[in-house]
Amino acid sequence: MIPPRFDYVAPRELAEAVDFLEKHGDYAKILAGGHSLIPLLRFRFASPKYLVDINGISDLEYMRESDGHLHIGPLTRYVDVESSKLIQSKYAALSDAAGHIADPLVRNMGTVGGNVCHSDPANDLPAVMLALGASIIAVGRAGERVIPAEEFFVDTFQTALKPTELLKEILVPIPPARTGNAYLKLERGAGDFPVVGVAAQVRLDEQGSCEAVGLGLTAAAPKVLKPKRAETFLEGKRLSEKEIQEAASLAAQDAQPVSDIRGPAEYKREMVQVLAFRALQQALERARGGA
Amino acid sequence: MSLHHIVVTVNGEKREAEVDSRLLLVHFLRETLGLTGTHIGCDTSNCGACAVIMDGKAVKSCTILAVQADGKELLTVEGLAKNGKLHPVQEGFLKKHGLQCGFCTPGMLMTSYWLLQKNPNPTEAEIQRGISGNLCRCTGYVKIVEAIQYASQKMRESNAQVQTK
Amino acid sequence: MSDNLRRLVEGRGQFVDDLHLPNMLHLKLVRSPYARARVAKVKGGINGSEVKFDLVSVGEGASDETQTVAYPVLASDYVNYAGQPVAAVFAEDLYKATDKIEEVEVEYEPLKPVVDPEEALRSEPIHPGTKSNIISSVQLGKDFRVPNAYVELEEEFANERIITDPLEPRGLVAHFDGSRLTVWASTQSVHSWKEGICDCMGLSADKVRVIQLDTGGAFGSKSSLYPEYVVACYLSMKTRRPVKWIETRSEHLLVTHQGRGTRAKMRIFADRTGVVYGLKGDLLVDAGAYPVGMGAFAPGWIGFQVTGPYTFSHALVNAKSVYTNKVPLGPYRGAGRPEAAFFIERMMDLLADELGMDPVEVRLKNVSGEPFVSPLGLRTEPFKPFLESAARELDYQNRARKGAVGFSCFVLIPAIQPGESARVAIAKGKVKVWMGGCAHGQGHDILAKVLVSEELGVPEACIEVEKGDTDQLSEGVGTWGSRTTIVGGGALVQACRKIKDEAKKALGDYSSDALLDHEFDAEVFFSRREPLNSFGANLVSASAGEFGVIRIDECMAYYDAGRVLNPAMVESQIIGGSAQAIGQVLYEEAKYDEDGQLLAATMAEAGMPKAQHMPRFTIKLATNTSSPNQPRGVGESPTMGVPPAAVRAIEKLTRRKLTETPIRPEDISSKKLAK
Repeated sequence: MIPPRFDYVAPRELAEAVDFLEKHGDYAKILAGGHSLIPLLRFRFASPKYLVDINGISDLEYMRESDGHLHIGPLTRYVDVESSKLIQSKYAALSDAAGHIADPLVRNMGTVGGNVCHSDPANDLPAVMLALGASIIAVGRAGERVIPAEEFFVDTFQTALKPTELLKEILVPIPPARTGNAYLKLERGAGDFPVVGVAAQVRLDEQGSCEAVGLGLTAAAPKVLKPKRAETFLEGKRLSEKEIQEAASLAAQDAQPVSDIRGPAEYKREMVQVLAFRALQQALERARGGA
Repeated sequence: MSLHHIVVTVNGEKREAEVDSRLLLVHFLRETLGLTGTHIGCDTSNCGACAVIMDGKAVKSCTILAVQADGKELLTVEGLAKNGKLHPVQEGFLKKHGLQCGFCTPGMLMTSYWLLQKNPNPTEAEIQRGISGNLCRCTGYVKIVEAIQYASQKMRESNAQVQTK
Repeated sequence: MSDNLRRLVEGRGQFVDDLHLPNMLHLKLVRSPYARARVAKVKGGINGSEVKFDLVSVGEGASDETQTVAYPVLASDYVNYAGQPVAAVFAEDLYKATDKIEEVEVEYEPLKPVVDPEEALRSEPIHPGTKSNIISSVQLGKDFRVPNAYVELEEEFANERIITDPLEPRGLVAHFDGSRLTVWASTQSVHSWKEGICDCMGLSADKVRVIQLDTGGAFGSKSSLYPEYVVACYLSMKTRRPVKWIETRSEHLLVTHQGRGTRAKMRIFADRTGVVYGLKGDLLVDAGAYPVGMGAFAPGWIGFQVTGPYTFSHALVNAKSVYTNKVPLGPYRGAGRPEAAFFIERMMDLLADELGMDPVEVRLKNVSGEPFVSPLGLRTEPFKPFLESAARELDYQNRARKGAVGFSCFVLIPAIQPGESARVAIAKGKVKVWMGGCAHGQGHDILAKVLVSEELGVPEACIEVEKGDTDQLSEGVGTWGSRTTIVGGGALVQACRKIKDEAKKALGDYSSDALLDHEFDAEVFFSRREPLNSFGANLVSASAGEFGVIRIDECMAYYDAGRVLNPAMVESQIIGGSAQAIGQVLYEEAKYDEDGQLLAATMAEAGMPKAQHMPRFTIKLATNTSSPNQPRGVGESPTMGVPPAAVRAIEKLTRRKLTETPIRPEDISSKKLAK
């Protein structure tokens, strides 16, 4: 209910934040939207010595395309992702996901950067990052480095970021024509964390065959999961319901769900299959030009 | 670094205080400022009883630190009525019986207020979605939705009147 | 417009956590992480070496019977449920008080907990010195033989435990000023609290005053005496300072008495035309670790209702409650009535299926146009006319033809015993009213104003309904069990009539204005000998949406609440109760693992329903021609009627037999269902 004691700093510049992390990174946590961190603090599951509030650093909230990529600033709020026409048109998986995180009040505060850095397997955006082939730009005193999403999510609550680094930006390759993506999640009634979720992106070639597939699974393993066998299976094929069913089945087989209050493992696995099928279908429809 | 001087505008009034880094905004409002209209119903950011408006957005004050509100404008339930005249959302909740025990009500009012600012003519489904971060155990929500519909209509009517003047 | 409601929408409520007194201390409890353990050592805080009280059972569902097992306010030898308090800390500041929890050291020797109630029947007793884990065991009715060629159907049902979850958690402020202890409470009954505190702490009645503040819902959780209340009183008596204790939601999930938690094995015997002959029932109540709350009372109480409104000529019920290593079981809206209704209504549906008959047709064959006393002692007024009206008003025939619907009907026994008190005092042109039951959303002020204004002829504007206060009302019972309008209202009316009699003697013929110019003060305790029924019926439909997720589409109610004093209020109560019923069916469960650890860590995980889960409601209130002026109680009706009707609708939808609440998605999941 009540957080433990901590010191609080609110840098005005990114460089200031980076300097602070260089000195105190091992004992510091970044405060962005706060809607994962503050609940953790209230339960004393985390006791950082310092909270580094980055909300005062300007120009960290943006979504803009340039150089072949969508650039997303770390402080971009879920509510803005949800309502962005740009995102809805080409990166619908992202707006689908952002628009269904928790509830509207949480979405007013929660950030894309925070969601990704938390690496909670029940968070929705990591799966979307995997499916869309995103990369994360990490910044530290030594400079910037680019980490592909596949390497970014290391384990439950653990990313490839060093304690002295900050997530500076997320890069999503601008999808070429004939690409569609979607995110679906199953909730157990009450705006709770998902039972499972599936992000899917499908890219078709000029003949309408599948050129590339990206998938990501939420809440189906200790960290976000990339079901590679399902992706590889679809590549190069003409996609009909049959192929998508098979891919969904492969994705479900790769899942490693655990039994908990949201359901038994076998049920979750079954639902991965159901959602994977639907997400792939929806991505495919969008790739073909439908909604 | 543990104690911070903050200046927050609350319901139009500038308030200043020295606060501990870990002080939650909801406790700043309730305990430091004595504005007990905002309620605490849970400790996992589910129930929304703590909802307030911060810089124009409805937020859960139990999941925000008081220090984060420095320099910001807050509106709480105590600030809804103007000169003794109830805000249409408050009127709606009374007229349509949108409350029984009243504990979730301040949070519901603030979320409704924000919802109608963003979307002056919401559908029933949009209202249900809009209050999906606010839990109520007494009413079953139906009358709350009706209350918000009432307020929406009232506000649109009075805006139309203002425009025709 | 209610001044009370206006105050609440202005944010001027005064709930317990809003109360600040000078020099106030904040109390926090140190709790056992284990569901069962020996407490080897406690170092620090205020603990069981200092506080040696044992809790007493008061409030709704309380039972004097079994105090064979002591429930220490602060555990010192054993802990028997996860969250059981072991020590207390305090500070002037809530944040510092919370920090102090970590300063207390407790050494536990974990023991294997008993979690499943059936296992509790077999396993060795969790409490040393007891012969078994059985708290109470009741046999109702008589054994019977069944004629040959009768149909016999046996089925097992369960209503799993539910977390009560009113939006306002429990709490109090206690202040001992050197001579008296005053307690400001979030409560359903100031008198139950006072009785409990006095009994538990050995204080004489004149030493304790309990005052109700605004209470943010209760649903059964706020009439019992809990350890934290006693610790707060103790600490205040020790320090002579006000002490505030406010429950966190996490504490509420874990340690506030949970509801439902009952299983039944039912055997029904009927002839092939659908006329029932007999019922045998075995009930098992999961009472939790101590005999406070409802655990001791529940078996007999639920047991006697399991024949429902039906004219069984034979019945035998064996009902038991057992200790398990969980928080004690308490009353939760309906408090035993919904469980009984669930078991019998489901059984009647399954009997209809067995016989290939329509479920309403079977019910109609088994209700009477005469008053009926069941073999278990349940008295029912004539139910047949009501059931016929219900089927008609709910348009059952057409709706059953069109889709998956469930129908249920029930007789609600309002908890009118032992009665209720009220006091009406006229002075300085104002009429002040105190009621023995404490409202927590039911709008007693509205009810009182209607009745008092009717009786005395005074305008509602001069009537002030005061919060519960044991100094202002010498006795009282409480608000629960759909009772207040009946007995609370009855007491109000009697108190007014007493004033009228006094006025007549003093003033001769008088006007209501004259009444207001004088002073009168009347307190009455009203009881009603004859039992009272409240009949109801529900029709519910359901559908399966995306990914096979079930939703309730329509919830129709036809309830005979007797005289309705405020239709808007009654409608609101019915919708709210229905929401809880839907929660019970689709979303809510207090689920434990084999170590006795509660798996629901948040309100969301406990399954609280949201606005988007609500169906379309149609509410029809019957006009009871037999006694049009008699209110009959309705607060708990939805919790009785909606769950069996909803489960039946889902059963028809999924073509699976469903016998438990909640219905978990994985129990009905099928790839065919997921579109």
